[in-house]
Amino acid sequence: MSALVCAAMMISFDKVSKRFGSNFALRDVSFDCEAGSVHAITGENGAGKSTLMNLLAGLFPVDGGEIRLHGKQLSPKSPADARSLGISTIYQELTLLPNLTIAENLFLGREPVRLGRIDRSGMREQARSMMARLGSGMDIDTYCGNLSVADQHLVEIAKGVSADADIFIFDEPTAALNAPEVEKLGELLASLKAQGKLVFYVSHRLDEIFRFCDRVTVLKDGRHVETRETRALTRDGLVSLMVGRVLSKFFPARPARSEAAPVALSVRDLQVQEGGPAVSFDVERGEIVGLAGLEGQGQRDIIRALSGLEPSASGMVIKSGEAGSAPLAFDVTKTVRSGVGFVPEDRKTEGLYLSLSIDRNITLGMLRRLNVWQLVPRRHDVIAELMRRLNIRSAGARQEVGELSGGNQQKVMIGRWLAAGIDVLLLEEPTRGVDVGAKAEIYELLREFTKGGGAVLTLSSELLELLGLCDRILVVRQNEIVAELDGAQATEEEVMRHALVGRADNGVHVDA
Amino acid sequence: MLWWVAQIMVCMSMLELARKSRRTGLSPIVLALPVALFVLLCLSSDTFRSLENLANVNSQITALMIASLGQGIVAISGGIDLSVGSVMSLTSAILVTADPAWGIPLALAMGVCVGLINGFGVTLFRVHPLVMTLATMTFVQGVALLLHPVPGGVVPGYLRTLAVSQVAGMPAAFFWCTAAILLAWFLLTRSPLGPRIYAVGANPVSAGRNGIAVMRLKVACFVLCSLSAVIAGIFLTARVGAGDATMGAPYSLDTVTAMALGGIQLAGGTGSVLGVVAGVITLGLISNGMNLLGVSPFLRAALTGVLLLMAIGLQRREAIGA
Ligand SMILES: Nc1ncnc2c1ncn2[C@@H]1O[C@H](COP(=O)(O)OP(=O)(O)OP(=O)(O)O)[C@@H](O)[C@H]1O
Ligand SMILES: [Mg+2]
Repeated sequence: MSALVCAAMMISFDKVSKRFGSNFALRDVSFDCEAGSVHAITGENGAGKSTLMNLLAGLFPVDGGEIRLHGKQLSPKSPADARSLGISTIYQELTLLPNLTIAENLFLGREPVRLGRIDRSGMREQARSMMARLGSGMDIDTYCGNLSVADQHLVEIAKGVSADADIFIFDEPTAALNAPEVEKLGELLASLKAQGKLVFYVSHRLDEIFRFCDRVTVLKDGRHVETRETRALTRDGLVSLMVGRVLSKFFPARPARSEAAPVALSVRDLQVQEGGPAVSFDVERGEIVGLAGLEGQGQRDIIRALSGLEPSASGMVIKSGEAGSAPLAFDVTKTVRSGVGFVPEDRKTEGLYLSLSIDRNITLGMLRRLNVWQLVPRRHDVIAELMRRLNIRSAGARQEVGELSGGNQQKVMIGRWLAAGIDVLLLEEPTRGVDVGAKAEIYELLREFTKGGGAVLTLSSELLELLGLCDRILVVRQNEIVAELDGAQATEEEVMRHALVGRADNGVHVDA
Repeated sequence: MLWWVAQIMVCMSMLELARKSRRTGLSPIVLALPVALFVLLCLSSDTFRSLENLANVNSQITALMIASLGQGIVAISGGIDLSVGSVMSLTSAILVTADPAWGIPLALAMGVCVGLINGFGVTLFRVHPLVMTLATMTFVQGVALLLHPVPGGVVPGYLRTLAVSQVAGMPAAFFWCTAAILLAWFLLTRSPLGPRIYAVGANPVSAGRNGIAVMRLKVACFVLCSLSAVIAGIFLTARVGAGDATMGAPYSLDTVTAMALGGIQLAGGTGSVLGVVAGVITLGLISNGMNLLGVSPFLRAALTGVLLLMAIGLQRREAIGA
């Protein structure tokens, strides 16, 4: 068996083109990939990375050129066909079904069958060991709809790697994961490589590309820019290949803070759940505050409670803005009406209307202050300006948001609130799936927003992002704020120390 | 009386159904409603309690049960089939006009055809299932009336025996019901098709990316539904003992009502065989009970509507999918 897989299997792309309507998503892309290697695909949002991978996955046919496997033409007709050809794909957007259990999702479409019935016990046993390989002890009988986005991505990865395949595609698998899980994924990639498989690894995260991948292909605007050994590249070299220019500064400068900035959001004794610990903090106008901590320590709950998504929350939240101060109710509609915008981590199911056009999605934000009988304003000028500032890659303002690349969807989501004239922005994972160039643009936009008197509260699984962006960092551990750090001075070690250390003495608080 | 209902509801909710309700759609109210109705009717009517009447209820709801199980499968896969009633009617017309030996095979073939047309219309031509099956409903009803304009005709003797005889003291209807329920239950919970049907109903795009042949599966669901309508039609014709080209008409909407009462969401992805059974029994008890209590047919329809609204209002609706 090993003789077979060791024979350097090769995929080659030969002048591959793909068109959507009149737009070329890919144009004459040619490069080769070797078996037994991890091949990174990177490039800006909308560069065509997912499109290229989806051709392999059988979602749609090649329009021009061809893909060859071992020199023979490869044209999978459907995802099922691709799977039977030995190609396993982990899509950028989640494909888990919310109403199936983890075990059922893992085996969907290839259920183990005995005597015409699903072999449930065998299936659950295998599912458990698949999850264990990823170091996860999740209950495989829970419905996937009840899992956090990070956990869903883990299940998605488990599903992908367990397939009996020769080619594995990972389309931004780590966008929702944090450090320890990324480590595990690294080990998995190494073991796949050792078995002589070919792994495609799509990512914006440079450190992962350099750590996990042997070669890297850069795409830009649907064209092939470079394929190189990662060893022969530097970080800055890779960034300039991707962006086409040298990024001088990634994070915008923090403006000097005057002492007496007015408070935009005053949170007192916020309890997400009854009987849980209470948190209190302020967010001033002109300030970006980050909630840091390990995954699942309660940062998300705090932001969700403020956005009104946790009706069981209690406490006193006062929002002050141009229109005066008022307590916030724990109710989404009222929260939005009083000028607080919320960007959820899972934009696909919680934030965007995928079948509506870009301009409509943005206009939705402006509707918040209208009554039902008022006409919807058609602010083409505002939208065009916003799309230009956000640098949204699209066929035009009328394109459906569902057709945009992942990173561009995120920009539309943020754009909606910027157009809505809100003054407090709650952001979960502000740059998930966003390319380096666009990240810098989003940071710049957020800075501009705060310079205009807005306030931002954000959380991110990328600590470096919080350190670079925020004025202040609140470290959350077990639903409590355990430290407040100055964003300009804080270091990674310092944040992690607060996030991790003192678990023992902290136990006392938790039991109480 | 209300105390009874309250008591039962409390017991049910203690069963911790909420955790599992994500996919089954079984809320305490779905299961409590038929039980409460049963208790209520037992207490208020002596005739209701008689074995004879219970057997009667059983055979009254059998056709609805079989047709609703098919409707349930389509609903879980994210569709709706309004042609169920017309297919039953046409089955009836075929049974009394065709040669006795050919009646059943012809009717089954007709069911497969209607199912295929519905399925391909919905998948290949992307017509909304409501519109698509409304069209076939009208068409098939027309064919049935053309074939057999005046009610009457002779039902083959063996069919009559199959539908109305007693086996081991149980009415034959009981066995028809049980067989249909077991089949549907096996399909949805034991066969590999089960999770796939739920998957397609919740999100066809994701299901497709998991390598499921979405189109084929949807078509299969429509075919199954039409076939179950044919079988419901066979049973009903045999029970009535005569052919009638409009006998199925009320079933198109009654099956949908049963879905609503049984917690099966028409958006797809949520529902269960137990829910269908509960919904059908509820509907059957309402009509049998009001009949016994001498409620006028017009008032009966209005009351059924009110009950339906109440039942749905009490259900916890949880959006699924996306
Ligand atoms: N189904 C579709 N219909 C129309 N246009 C599409 C469709 N899918 C992708 N596109 C377009 O093709 C281009 C490439 O998109 P793709 O998703 O491949 O980008 P990407 O490199 O994966 O970006 P990201 O990093 O944001 O995920 C984009 O301009 C996008 O709008
Ligand atoms: Mg992509």
